[in-house]
Amino acid sequence: MPGVRAALIALATCSTAPALATEVARADPAYLPELLASAKEKSLAEARAWLRLGHWRKRVLGGWESEADGPGLFLSPQGKRDPAAELEATLTGFFAAGDGAPSDNSKLADPSLEHPQCRFPARFAFLAGALQIDPARLPPRSCPRFEAFWRRVSVRSATLIFSSYYLNSPASAFGHTFLRLGKDEVASSGERLDLIDQAVDFAAIANTSNAVLYAFEGLFGFFRGEFSARPYFYKVREYADYESRDLWEYDLALDQRQLGMLVAHLWELGQTWFDYYYVTENCSYQILGALEAADPRLDLLSHVGVATLPSDSVKALFANPGLVRGVRYRPSARTQLAARTAGLSGGDLDAVQQLAEGDDSAGLGAMPTDERVRVVDAALDLVDVRHGRDIVTGSDPRADRLRQHLLETRSAIGVPSPPLNIPPPAAGGPERGHGSLRLGLGGGASREEGALFLAEGRMALHDLADPPAGFSPRTQLEFFKVRLSAADRPGAVRLEEASLVEVTSLNPIDRFEQRVSWKMRVGATRVADAGCDRCLAGFLAVGGGPGMVSADGTFSAALTADAELLGAPDLHGLSGSPVRPGIGPGLLLRLLAGDRGALVGTGTWRWLPSASPETTYELGLEARLHLGPVSLAARGRAAPRAHDLGLLLLMYRD
Amino acid sequence: MRRARWVLIAFILSAGVAHADAENPAAHGKATYGLAGCGLGSLVFGDQKGAIQILAATSNTTFGTQTFGITTGTSNCVDTAAGSAGAKIFIEGNREALAKDAARGSGETITTLTAMAGCKDAKAVGTALQKHFTQLFPEQTPAEQVSQNVLKELRSDSSLECRKIG
Repeated sequence: MPGVRAALIALATCSTAPALATEVARADPAYLPELLASAKEKSLAEARAWLRLGHWRKRVLGGWESEADGPGLFLSPQGKRDPAAELEATLTGFFAAGDGAPSDNSKLADPSLEHPQCRFPARFAFLAGALQIDPARLPPRSCPRFEAFWRRVSVRSATLIFSSYYLNSPASAFGHTFLRLGKDEVASSGERLDLIDQAVDFAAIANTSNAVLYAFEGLFGFFRGEFSARPYFYKVREYADYESRDLWEYDLALDQRQLGMLVAHLWELGQTWFDYYYVTENCSYQILGALEAADPRLDLLSHVGVATLPSDSVKALFANPGLVRGVRYRPSARTQLAARTAGLSGGDLDAVQQLAEGDDSAGLGAMPTDERVRVVDAALDLVDVRHGRDIVTGSDPRADRLRQHLLETRSAIGVPSPPLNIPPPAAGGPERGHGSLRLGLGGGASREEGALFLAEGRMALHDLADPPAGFSPRTQLEFFKVRLSAADRPGAVRLEEASLVEVTSLNPIDRFEQRVSWKMRVGATRVADAGCDRCLAGFLAVGGGPGMVSADGTFSAALTADAELLGAPDLHGLSGSPVRPGIGPGLLLRLLAGDRGALVGTGTWRWLPSASPETTYELGLEARLHLGPVSLAARGRAAPRAHDLGLLLLMYRD
Repeated sequence: MRRARWVLIAFILSAGVAHADAENPAAHGKATYGLAGCGLGSLVFGDQKGAIQILAATSNTTFGTQTFGITTGTSNCVDTAAGSAGAKIFIEGNREALAKDAARGSGETITTLTAMAGCKDAKAVGTALQKHFTQLFPEQTPAEQVSQNVLKELRSDSSLECRKIG
């Protein structure tokens, strides 16, 4: 089956397919030294395309090192650190005796047993083009397993998919990116058949179910990350249906040659693993690395910062003009439910709710057919949003019966549902979002301290007053935020706040879903009451309660029951100890003025059992005006021993 | 949790066997599949629970990647070429979504299935699946039974002209 290989080589060399009738011919051993000399003369080992195929990066202390950590990507024992040795081993390997894969049928076959030409089809295509390899003297081998993969993918297009910030679990609010390799098949009726395309994912292989170990191993690269490929529908069902994450699809302007190289290189990557780091060398990083190898002209990884956020990898695409040729949006189950209920009357909504709770007294019989269709369709979506995961895992027989009953009710109506057309949200995709790094400088005044110089920084990602474009209006997720102040006297530079993580998830309570809004904050803060003399205390706070978000996101509010824990050596805490627990209510209000501004008010009151003082409070108000790449912030705070005002200029960077 | 793991192991083993069968089409005519089929429950979610599940979503970790390894994959649930085998994988992997589209008589899974089976018109396929919904998607039916039912329906209704699933 030399067709695939011939096509790939032709693509790589930009020529017509070389004659491959010599398939059975033996390689000419005298040809190898010629190729090695030619490669040396052309300095191919330092060519950008070659370096990218091996994922070699310059080391700080000089020399090269590949990011691939498994041995599968190298033929030379020095390959990880020596691109030239690997090039030589690769060319030598191409001359190896044998014909393709060992002839056993096991799919668990060790890939390293295959012929180097079959293990490294992208390298073969690159070198065949760069060295003008004569197929008569180095005949291409047949590679049944690679060719089966090639046929399965049948690539005609490539799309980067961004799976949105996951609202229910802001821990995954950064989102996820993966690739879809499109067959570009279109139904006779004109619809796209994306579901049967192949999705290629880079993910960590977890080997522990201990949560603490898991977090540690993930942060410090103890997990292996591997590439995998499966039909796109598995991804749609998992993310859009069962996790209710909207999917953004970015079609890439790659030509057939680059697409071929991408598929061939993904095959190469499938043999190895990369140490997986949550923050840096993660899914988004490796997907961009694979794209760079497929088209050496692309500059993607240079556009992401130290931390590779999935949203930054989308922006990196846009930093290469013309690379994104189209953006599409696939609404999640929850978005579909919202669209189906948007036009229903109050009575219909009551009926939807009754049906989704198994109550058949909704009076469907009295409704005209199209109304009945709309009501039952919405009830079906509601059942899936509420119970989808239980139904697919078969863990809730009651939900199964409920859904089955509704499905039968719906099918009995006997008319097809009209297509549901949902426009992308006005906030746009992640490419429209502000830079995740935020720096602020300004001045202020405090009743206690007098004039203040203020500086702050935040590594990622978004708070409730930041520009709303490209983000969910319901989520705040901040990592590594630091606030400093300096008063007008010597030695008065102070750390006011250092927060490791701060999360707020606003979940509107509506008639269909009663989810709790919640917040969480871990870090250190300067105590602003009589508990100590402005000491810095370790801080942990959680809270939850009902919340609301108006339909267009303009107004939001949450009332929470909070619990917090402060600890500092000087603190007059619980029974005189340095640890001070507190409980009490929290209030959050937010008003958005479109993309131009935001007003956020917060208030907390705390009862501090057996501590001194016995209660405390804090009120805060912040107004932001968004002026393109910068924002102006005005904020005020009132607490028992802190009354201050500040004005800052905020800058956002990717 | 333990049970889910065993199902997964059984699936992986059976898929390996099934694939060996599939590579000998002369003996079977068409591929056979493991007990767990290509349904979502056994493939996508694995046995992640609680905290790990949340963390897994954070780091995009997966427990099931081995199944879909590019060069080492053991799963038969990956090839979505048109025809009976591909249509079967598609129906099993989309069992819940297809049931909903079938009850509604229209939708993306019906359009896709129509093309994979080489049927003439998605509207007609939607109408047929909707009309026979209760026979095709009986309560508590495993995905493999559903795929058999649906393919049988598409084959037997000559007016649908499904040419690729002979």
